[in-house]
Amino acid sequence: MTSIDLVDLTKEYRGTRAVDGLTCGIGPGRVTGFLGPNGAGKSTTMRLVLGLDRPTSGTATVGGLPYAALRDPLREVGALLDAQAAHASRTARDHLRFLVVSNRLPARRVDEVLEETGLAAVARRRIGTFSLGMRQRLGIATALLGDPHVLLLDEPTNGLDPEGIVWVRTLVRRLAGEGRTVLVSSHLMNETAAFADHLVVLGRGRLLADVSTGDFIERYGRARVRVRTGDPVRLRAALLARGHTVAEDDDGRWAVDGATAEEIGAVAAREGVTVLELADDRGSLEQAYFALTTAEAEFAAATSPTAPQEA
Amino acid sequence: MSVIPVLHSEWIKIRSVRASFGSLLAVFAATLAITLLVFATVGRAEAEDGGDPVFGAFYAINFAQIAAIAFGATAVSSEYAHGALRTSLSAVPHRGLFHTAKTAIVAAAALVVGLATGFATFFVGQAFLGPYAIGLGEPGALRACAGAGIYLALMALLAAGLTFLLRSAVAVLSLLIPFILIVSFVVGDVAGGAAAYFPDRAGQQILHQNPSGALGPWSGLAVTALWATAALLTGRLAVRRRDA
Repeated sequence: MTSIDLVDLTKEYRGTRAVDGLTCGIGPGRVTGFLGPNGAGKSTTMRLVLGLDRPTSGTATVGGLPYAALRDPLREVGALLDAQAAHASRTARDHLRFLVVSNRLPARRVDEVLEETGLAAVARRRIGTFSLGMRQRLGIATALLGDPHVLLLDEPTNGLDPEGIVWVRTLVRRLAGEGRTVLVSSHLMNETAAFADHLVVLGRGRLLADVSTGDFIERYGRARVRVRTGDPVRLRAALLARGHTVAEDDDGRWAVDGATAEEIGAVAAREGVTVLELADDRGSLEQAYFALTTAEAEFAAATSPTAPQEA
Repeated sequence: MSVIPVLHSEWIKIRSVRASFGSLLAVFAATLAITLLVFATVGRAEAEDGGDPVFGAFYAINFAQIAAIAFGATAVSSEYAHGALRTSLSAVPHRGLFHTAKTAIVAAAALVVGLATGFATFFVGQAFLGPYAIGLGEPGALRACAGAGIYLALMALLAAGLTFLLRSAVAVLSLLIPFILIVSFVVGDVAGGAAAYFPDRAGQQILHQNPSGALGPWSGLAVTALWATAALLTGRLAVRRRDA
């Protein structure tokens, strides 16, 4: 199976380090979410993997080979970097046709991917007339063209309607299920949580985390318990007495930070308070992400006050 | 990667963008239209006045070269519009191969259309000249017909090479076209010796029956070829070095 390997990958643009000593592997059979704020180096990393930009130092390989050494690269790697990366005056069909021909792919792939991405009806229209969502679909069609082992998708849901977003989610899950290596960048946390098994998080070009989505939320997320009771006054007093912090939500539920449902359930039982609802809240990926990046920003500010600002 | 599929792919790219395919067709169509117009109206009168009958037959090449330059520039600049280059290089990451294939297709397309244009403009023009008409048997005529095609291909390659470097057809066209229409024309008469080595001046020696000056018909074309080669090599270096 094919994986992407980055070893000490560094890219500098005029003194700014867009990617800074990045070492990690992106494995097959799962969807890896590639997270980080704008300017964290996600797109640059993808361009380095594709050999479009030359690294300042370090290496990026696919299945052990640099991209330029792949024989028919579209059979190995499919990429959506920028949905705009197609000449506006070509038709969708011609755009896919020259790619199919260059890599000796079967000609039927053009119609297959157009069908799969819902573009069959507009195949002979010029790309310049496409909406952002249609261009995005064409970008995904381009990535799927060579039936590749590895997929790099940079913000694939950009410009898609809710239906399209669900479609992309199902698509990337399926591709990973078929044993492919799927790297999907996004800055939308909840969306990423919906499809990523694993996360690679970048901040200022550095690797902040390389863990499974579950572990990430557990490690950085804020666990709490939500509870609704028939006797809020007594339960609240009992919880405060045991040193819990309790906050009331807008909808009449109580949120107890840093506790588990077992603990709160036990307290309620001892007090004889009726519990109407009781649930663990593991915290969202968004919370976990902000907890991590805030800590990182403070760390960066404390250790390198003269660090250049991200462009 | 294999060369033939990449060449085929480059041909599809030229065919599928209006600007590049349109200007390729314009090399032939515009030249023929102008030949028809000029020779049907003032052809005989010009021929009566005398002068080089071979060079006179290729008057319309002045317009063909503008179309050839536009073809070379737009065939390459389509890669630099809308970030298309990133998609192209992800399919053909070997940049030397990418550059070679595109150059070869531009050369082949421009040469085929250029040769057709050279011969067509000659025959169509002469058809209007009655007693003053010359045939391919006229000294220098066959050489000029073939030379016109080669010249047009070289001008397309000069433009293509510069476009790889400057990444914009607008930049290249606004550099080359004023150069050919004005600088070479005006400065050419003033500067004397050096102007004979300008790409257009040198290359057009082949259209004359008896070229005068330092460069002969073939050595003039060779000078144009040197200009085109220099532009292509500089462009190639840029393609290999730059981040896409």
